[in-house]
Amino acid sequence: MSASLLKIDNLRTYFYSRSKRAFIRSVDGVSLAINRGETLGIVGESGCGKSVTALSVMGLITATPGVITGRIDFANGTLHRNLLDGLDQSVRLSEEEGRIMDVVKDSGAWQRQSDRLQRGVRGGEIAMIFQNPKASMNPFEPVGAQIVEAVRLHTEHTGKKEAEQRALHWLERVRIDSPRLRFHNHPYGLSGGMCQRAMIAMALAAEPSLLIADEPTTGLDATIQSKIVDLLAELKAEIGITTLLISHDMGVIGRLADRVAVMYGGRVVEEGGAQQVLAGGEGNHPYTRALIASIPGAAEVRQKSYLQAIEGDVLDTINIPAGCRFYERCNRVTEAVRERCADCEPQLFDAGSGQRVRCWLFAP
Amino acid sequence: MRAASLKPLARLMGRELLMTFFLLIGVSVVVFVILYLAPGDPFSVLLEGEMPTEAAREGIRQAMGVPTTWYSQYFAWLGKMLVGDFGTSIRTGMPVLPELLRVGWNTLVLTGGAMLVTLLVAVPVALYSAVRGVTLISWPLTILAYVISALPLFWLGYLVLYVAMRHFGIFPFAFASLGSEPKLIYFLLPILVLGLGSGAISEVVRHLREESSRVLDEEYVRTARAKGASVWRHAFKEGFLLPVTAIMATKVPFLIGGAIIVEQVFNWPGMGRMAWQAAQDRDYPVIMAIAIAAALLVRIGTLVQRVVYVTVNPRASQE
Amino acid sequence: MKRFRQRPGEISEFSDLPLWQKADTIDLLYVGYGLLIVSLVVASYLLGALQWLPHDPNALNLNLLLAGPGTPGHLLGTDFMGRDLLTRLVLGIQAYFLPGLMAVASALFGGTVLGVVAGYRGGGAGLIVTFLGNLIDSFPRLVLILLVIAAFKPDIWYIMAVIGISNVPAVASLVQGKIAMLREKNFIEAAVALGLPTRTIIAKHILWYNCKALLIIQATLGMAEAILMETSLSYLGFGVQEPTPSWGNMVQSGANYFLQGNLWPSTAPALAILFTILGFHLLGDGLNNLLEGKRGR
Repeated sequence: MSASLLKIDNLRTYFYSRSKRAFIRSVDGVSLAINRGETLGIVGESGCGKSVTALSVMGLITATPGVITGRIDFANGTLHRNLLDGLDQSVRLSEEEGRIMDVVKDSGAWQRQSDRLQRGVRGGEIAMIFQNPKASMNPFEPVGAQIVEAVRLHTEHTGKKEAEQRALHWLERVRIDSPRLRFHNHPYGLSGGMCQRAMIAMALAAEPSLLIADEPTTGLDATIQSKIVDLLAELKAEIGITTLLISHDMGVIGRLADRVAVMYGGRVVEEGGAQQVLAGGEGNHPYTRALIASIPGAAEVRQKSYLQAIEGDVLDTINIPAGCRFYERCNRVTEAVRERCADCEPQLFDAGSGQRVRCWLFAP
Repeated sequence: MRAASLKPLARLMGRELLMTFFLLIGVSVVVFVILYLAPGDPFSVLLEGEMPTEAAREGIRQAMGVPTTWYSQYFAWLGKMLVGDFGTSIRTGMPVLPELLRVGWNTLVLTGGAMLVTLLVAVPVALYSAVRGVTLISWPLTILAYVISALPLFWLGYLVLYVAMRHFGIFPFAFASLGSEPKLIYFLLPILVLGLGSGAISEVVRHLREESSRVLDEEYVRTARAKGASVWRHAFKEGFLLPVTAIMATKVPFLIGGAIIVEQVFNWPGMGRMAWQAAQDRDYPVIMAIAIAAALLVRIGTLVQRVVYVTVNPRASQE
Repeated sequence: MKRFRQRPGEISEFSDLPLWQKADTIDLLYVGYGLLIVSLVVASYLLGALQWLPHDPNALNLNLLLAGPGTPGHLLGTDFMGRDLLTRLVLGIQAYFLPGLMAVASALFGGTVLGVVAGYRGGGAGLIVTFLGNLIDSFPRLVLILLVIAAFKPDIWYIMAVIGISNVPAVASLVQGKIAMLREKNFIEAAVALGLPTRTIIAKHILWYNCKALLIIQATLGMAEAILMETSLSYLGFGVQEPTPSWGNMVQSGANYFLQGNLWPSTAPALAILFTILGFHLLGDGLNNLLEGKRGR
């Protein structure tokens, strides 16, 4: 049995922009693997495809023109399933020069097949928490009832009383204050931080084997953010749950992730151990270095010095360039590789100790 | 916990009832103003009956102390209405209220049934196109709903009558005393015509489709999906119950208006026919009573919708 | 099955296609059909006003009663008195063109003024608009009109005045809602901060840039309502009176021959109403989708 709990292989998720009559290549050939018990962090600027990757795994891309191809293999115990199995039968793609240009899709059949594949996996084996926790909870139902639902759907505690006990237990576990009161509150009575704790309780209440946390701290106050990160770190130590953590915040990733993948323009440009990737030095992808350099350190704040921003705009995901996707903004191009950078996209080169970098500077 | 959450609910209900009360006062003012401005001093006639001459009128006024200023006339009229005295019909000389209650029931059957027909047709079309978007099935259905809504209601009624008489040999006048027993279908045909032709269907389709597709895209519904829970269980309140009650409440007056036409076509003895007769004869005690009664029905419909809203929506107390 | 195709060539991510290119074909069809109907209605009004008609609308032809469509000399046939249906259909617009326009114009004007006051001032004024709206909506339109008819007289101008006035609160609440939305986006605060005079903000930035589409849509729906209402009243005998033709009294008088199997004289004006109302509704819908933007799907 392989160590990977989830293995994503060449995932492509495209959207269709009606107003431009063109495909937006949000995720364009991503391969990742999450091993049992580890926390994999995905970082990148907004629009690089992090969240879309997570939503694709969960089968939550509902916008009808969304096209998803590739494999997503989930394996836990006796359950082995490719979550995109057979979906290609309801989609017909025509490619030109390796780019999808024309799609005919039977959305109904597609959705039915996707829901069938997700049955028993979504919510039960894989649970997810989102950014903007207040909008993510059902405003019409008490918080407790929403957690009870997760317990009854996915665990052996299907009795009403029993499930309520479990839900309350989880509310206490996420250290929400006055859990008994919150159990009966509607989400509008809770602060953003409390809502996120309740969301985490709801996700964990299903006793999943994989937790996907999509920007769990974004949009919360700074002090609340660090408390939520503390909570996640604590739960990780206690439960040891496998986690896919998505964040644009290097600090959050640094605190929680064992391994890190950096995404840019719908692709993974670097992956490896958290230590190596977050070093942000010579041994890293120019994009990773730039990302890390743009975090203000305490010293810069004190001296009121300028922050290092990354030059240029985020990649245009409609017109993908032929060469390296970061070429336009890259400040480390040397004359030796310039031609290759401009014309030819690099693959992920091995940089030793399990680290891989998509950059010609690392070509053997 | 439970008891504490009931209290604001009671307060909200109280607020809705108060609002309904104020609106009904407003309704009476509107009716009064229209009649007060009308030529021929209908209010004096209403309060003191027809007088042969102006001199006789003066005499009666002084003898009976009939109010003559506009506000005293209004309050006198309002006071009479509150004790159930809507005056007597000019045409028949009979008190208005008992007759109104008798025919009002027939109109309730007609409009209530029509409402059901509207929902039975519109809801599946709306939900289908909300989930699937514009498809080869949903588009023609939507257009058909639009076409039926755009037809003159009485023409549709005549068409149904024509088909019923010519091809099935039945005379679907539910209340006609032709000796034969009225059959269920005789009641169904007018109800179907009103339900399909009142113009409510296309609006229900439009509103429900927009609201439910908006709610299906909400983040909390995505959470429900991510949880493996039933999407519609979570989307039901905001994506179905609230929009349906909201739009149906606004369609009550349209259905009552349509009932006037359908009652005429099918000889259905309801409030609509009574209103038509009253407008013909300028029988204002009757038409006033009908206007008030119709407004009362509309307000009751809206009150039901508001009660559903504040009961379902935990945030209502914050508005 | 749905098809999505990328158009060839370089596509700028940062600028959209022009409106008519990015729009759904179906919305363009709706609007195109709606505009066709509007121009037909206007053309018919002008033809009628100028008396450029194929026949005398009141010329009786007792030898040719209830002729079907396609009869030589009478393209759409004749009615129960042998009068030319096409002529009477074209002339029928006269009955409610100007009263209908008046109803629409007064609803838009009154509604805009009230909506701007309520939206801009907020507070008490907003509550009053809501109250008035609920009050007017308490009356079924037709009942209110019958009340006015009983009190005054059955006259198309009175009827249209009732329709116009009773549409005021609906327009007002739409305008008010739009302003509230702009306020939420700090659009108005930004304009005030720029030092623009209130008059410019309201006239140009609120009404012209943001409420134009909404008002056009309300106008098309209002016109549709005016036509349907006149039709209903004609049926009840309170609309435009014979021998002056209106679509409503044509359907009504034709309907007397309906049960004898002469469907056409009633159906022709009914279809005219259908195509016109449908045109106005689809125009409203299409414009709404094009100008106000559709939701996600």
